[in-house]
Amino acid sequence: MGAEVITVSADTKFVQLAWKLDEKMLKDVKYPMGSDPTGKIARMFGVYDENSGLSLRGTFIINPQGQLLNAEVNFYNMGRNIDELMRKFKANLHLSKHTAEGCPAKWKEEGDKTLKPSPKMVGKVFEAYEGK
Amino acid sequence: MTETCCCGIQVGQTVPDFKLETFEPTKGDFGEISLEALKKNKKWTILFFYPAAFTFV
Repeated sequence: MGAEVITVSADTKFVQLAWKLDEKMLKDVKYPMGSDPTGKIARMFGVYDENSGLSLRGTFIINPQGQLLNAEVNFYNMGRNIDELMRKFKANLHLSKHTAEGCPAKWKEEGDKTLKPSPKMVGKVFEAYEGK
Repeated sequence: MTETCCCGIQVGQTVPDFKLETFEPTKGDFGEISLEALKKNKKWTILFFYPAAFTFV
């Protein structure tokens, strides 16, 4: 897929090993589990909660040039949708190769309609989207 | 060139290089990962923060 997914928490690598071994829901997890005990990386991304010492549920996509392209942060009590993460990743991949295009909200995968912003499209996004 | 920032990075900015100690489930071993190495290998990086082990994702 060309992407490295890294999970990050303030736990030590030892705790992550224990959790991985203990929790059946993680049996298929193959991602490296990063340890950020000081919260340095979480602070860098603005997801460190100074009151609890924990990090909020943040997801960040960085391109191979090191540029941050997406940021999504959920509070503790809401899980994230992996389909939406994959949608964003695939859209980024597409846009990295087709820099003049934009992926609209309904874009799901390669082959779906993209838009090319231009003066002609102003006020005519609906028509452009519908191919009229 | 985009601006590099130390904290609370915004979308569009360049992420400063960082390193993380890791547990690597595929190897059953500990390791280290750095943004610099990932960039060198032309990899995209997806960081997935969660509050703590033993919580749901």
